[in-house]
Amino acid sequence: MAGMMQEAPMIKITNLEKFYRTEEVETIALNKLSIEIATGEFVAIMGPSGCGKSTLLNILGMLDDPDAGSYVFNDIEVAHFTERKRADLRKHNIGFVFQSFNLIDELTVFENVELPLIYTGVASAERVKRVEEVLDKMQIMHRRNHYPQQLSGGQQQRVAIARAVVNKPKLILADEPTGNLDSSNGNDVMELLTDLNEQGTTIIMVTHSEHDARYSHRIIRLLDGQSVMENIMV
Amino acid sequence: MIKNYIKTAFRGLQKNKGFTAINILGLALGLATCLLIILYVVDELSYDHYNTKASRIYRVNEDLKLGDNSVKYAVCMPPLAKTLKTEYPYVENAVRLKNAGSWHVKKGNSNILENKLVYADPSLFDVFTLPMIEGSPSSALVEPNSIVITETTAKKYFNSLNVVGKTLVLNDNTPVKVTGVIRDIPRQSHFNFDFFLSMSTWADSRSNEWLRSDYNTYVLLKDPSDAKKLAASFPELLRKFSGAQMQADMNMSIEAFEKSGSFFRMNLIPLTDIHLKSSLSGELGPNGTTQYIYIFSAIAIFILLIACVNFMNLSTARSSNRAREVGVRKVLGSDRKHLIAQFLTESILVTFVATILAFIAALFLLPLFNQLSGKELAINSQSLVWIIPSLLFISLFVGAIAGAYPAFYLSAFQPVDVLKGKLAAGFKGGRLRSFLVIFQFSISIFLIIGTLVIYNQLNYIQTKNLGYNRNQVLIVQNVFELNKQAKVFKQEVKEIPGVMNATMTGFLPTSNWKSTAIYYKDATLDQKKSLFPQSWEVDEDYVKTLDMRMVAGRSFSKDMPTDSAGIILNESAAKFLGFNDVNKILYRGLGGKNTLDNVKQYHVVGIVKDFNFNSLRESIGPVVMTLAENTGALSIKVDTKNLPALLSQIKDRWKELSPNVQINYSFMDQEFDASYRTEQRTGQIFIVFTSLAIVIACLGLFGLAAYAAEQRTKEIGIRKVLGASVSAIAGMLSKDFIKLVFISILIATPAAWYLMNKWLQDFAYRINIQWWVLVLAGVAALFIAVITVSFQAIKAAIANPVDSLKNE
Repeated sequence: MAGMMQEAPMIKITNLEKFYRTEEVETIALNKLSIEIATGEFVAIMGPSGCGKSTLLNILGMLDDPDAGSYVFNDIEVAHFTERKRADLRKHNIGFVFQSFNLIDELTVFENVELPLIYTGVASAERVKRVEEVLDKMQIMHRRNHYPQQLSGGQQQRVAIARAVVNKPKLILADEPTGNLDSSNGNDVMELLTDLNEQGTTIIMVTHSEHDARYSHRIIRLLDGQSVMENIMV
Repeated sequence: MIKNYIKTAFRGLQKNKGFTAINILGLALGLATCLLIILYVVDELSYDHYNTKASRIYRVNEDLKLGDNSVKYAVCMPPLAKTLKTEYPYVENAVRLKNAGSWHVKKGNSNILENKLVYADPSLFDVFTLPMIEGSPSSALVEPNSIVITETTAKKYFNSLNVVGKTLVLNDNTPVKVTGVIRDIPRQSHFNFDFFLSMSTWADSRSNEWLRSDYNTYVLLKDPSDAKKLAASFPELLRKFSGAQMQADMNMSIEAFEKSGSFFRMNLIPLTDIHLKSSLSGELGPNGTTQYIYIFSAIAIFILLIACVNFMNLSTARSSNRAREVGVRKVLGSDRKHLIAQFLTESILVTFVATILAFIAALFLLPLFNQLSGKELAINSQSLVWIIPSLLFISLFVGAIAGAYPAFYLSAFQPVDVLKGKLAAGFKGGRLRSFLVIFQFSISIFLIIGTLVIYNQLNYIQTKNLGYNRNQVLIVQNVFELNKQAKVFKQEVKEIPGVMNATMTGFLPTSNWKSTAIYYKDATLDQKKSLFPQSWEVDEDYVKTLDMRMVAGRSFSKDMPTDSAGIILNESAAKFLGFNDVNKILYRGLGGKNTLDNVKQYHVVGIVKDFNFNSLRESIGPVVMTLAENTGALSIKVDTKNLPALLSQIKDRWKELSPNVQINYSFMDQEFDASYRTEQRTGQIFIVFTSLAIVIACLGLFGLAAYAAEQRTKEIGIRKVLGASVSAIAGMLSKDFIKLVFISILIATPAAWYLMNKWLQDFAYRINIQWWVLVLAGVAALFIAVITVSFQAIKAAIANPVDSLKNE
């Protein structure tokens, strides 16, 4: 681990700011936040509701852009990228796992997992191979032709993870991945994420659960848009 | 990629069966209607195009003005065709047609009444494209007593096509030789005859008279651009020929004639314009009008627009359900382009399915539509050549139009927002959707008002007091078949118990048998004091049999021998002449030289109350009646208590007098109805289309209300928990839509009032649009909308609030 820290970090945000404005109130979601995350790290972000966790995750995932500050991803400054450029960078580098799975109801398990490969232009035969590979790994191969509604929550989240990793992203962003699961299924998901991390994928996870956070290497605690504490796990 | 789009689209549609059904059904209905109307319009527009030389063929029309009388004719002078061909090198050929009326044609021992006979010049087959199966086109119509018949007619009379050289017997006494068999004339032809007699058979065709018009005259130009040149030379031509004859016969120069405000003029109409744009005196058959083409095309476009609007409305309303999918796809790397393509694929898929359904529906509805429109439209290999590509085009076009808004709207969602559920609660695009609902309902209300006005006007025509009584009048046609026995027949019929009266003449208010003549107020035959009325030959029983009313003087009487020089005027004629009582004198030239001793003097014996004899579109013109034997028809006023027995007695009398010729009869009220068939058909078609438009609009509203209720489930739940009643909630949900219908009423009512008044202007006798028609249309639209919306609103309102709150 120590050796990796000498390389340039995968993610470096500096003085990042994000505001939400309504007609009367301006809410500060992120307040001059600076964080570095190295390649291969597993980081948990925690904090009370409204502390800016999700905002941070959206910006890290290039779904949203900051109002001020810098965001360097793999040595590229992306803070002011256009939507199109962000989308391009995103689809090749980042996988997402959501609390509510966000599978497309009209597509089967196989087709849901295949979708990111279609958008990155992978050829059909190669797609089948890679989807089957990842479904096998997630142990849901037998469900490949089912629709999301036919699966349990745990199975749905495994499909979602399969979909997140099928493109072999360098970074996985997980937003409370166990939030809708019982503890047994939740543990399975955490084991899967840990496995992926051990195989080299960087993981950033937002969570409310101290239990889940213990799977990570480092916990960043946010309050009112600022980092108040970092715990290094041993 | 496209496979994935289609797959997702297909499954999405399958999942939302209700939505899909409404969308496809609405579109299919719209497209089917559109297709039927297109067939109708194409049929109307294709008249006479079967002629390969159509672009070079023109008909010569004539405008005549005599004093204050004016007439527009579709016929010209007997020598015109020949003269045009010899005088103008750019006239390649010319042909005359003269309607020969009804004849009996002998088949075996019986005589069949045929009414599609015409005299034609030999050049007929050079000008018109009437392919000859048997015989020689160049010589078939040269010899007198030659006849060319159609394929169907040949089969009917000879059971064979190989009939050249055989003989047909006309009116039981005139043999004619069959010299050719042509293919049946296409239905889209402004004239439609089964028998073409050689013009040389008709002695009058050799007449050199330039002052009367009774031949439909067509010219074939070498180049269509010469039409202007030809038309420009007409005044000179008329001065030369008609002028010379006027000088000789009437001792009047054409300059003096024109100076008095009268004129002869001729003009050209392109052959292909005749069916839709010409309705003159002396047409070879009833023509159509462009008015209905415009109206129907507009309806087709409206209905299609309503269906498209449904699609857009329902798709965007459903957007919140699709928003999450858009978000996920964007997160996974899809850009906007892909999403737009995906949604467009989906809408084109829906239109495509709807198009197929529409095509099938149109196939099944076609016989019904034909019945309604009186056409024989067909979807066959010929029409499929243009129907299939145009359907594909329409489905792509409609799919793109209907899908464009949802595609751009949905693809613009920000993934962060939708994944957070920010959009789910909003019923977005509300303003556009309101606009579209208003648009749909404005059209529907417009169509409802239109239908009511047309219906009322037709009803008015049918019940209007026409100045005569058309009920219980039996018309026996062509009494001239009985020759001298005609009078005997009338006498015998009058004696049958149950017959109240009978009058013998072909001149009836409901018949097409018309004749005009010129009458003068003074014996010098001064043009300025002339009258150009309908001039009818009637008998003493005419006024009484038809229940007309005399406003002055009396009807003709057997007891008054001087009545043979008597004349009855209608009110219009009397007014035109400035006569307000009888004891006035009128003069009529007897043809040939207009000299004092060549003039007949008439004394006015009575003035009859105006009666309608033309379409009610036209005002009543002047009519004069003289006492003379005319055996065109015998109209019998009957007691209908035992009609079958009465009829068989009348038939028996006929048979005794003429065993070989069949009796031919009809009822006057039926003939009257027949003359308004076009209007009646239009009315019916209008009603059907209006209903369709309303059904489609309601389908959309129904779907929209369902989504509105769905979107507000949570709000409804909260309101119910706080104590709102079912009716309060149903009212709240309905209110928004009802408001839109009110706005539509405000927009549509004045527009419909204005345009329908314009339509009514075409009728000389017409209704005023009553206020209740407008109110009724508004109330009907409101009622339909309330029923549609409240169904959904009540369903939403009675749902258990716990369920709706748990959903969030």
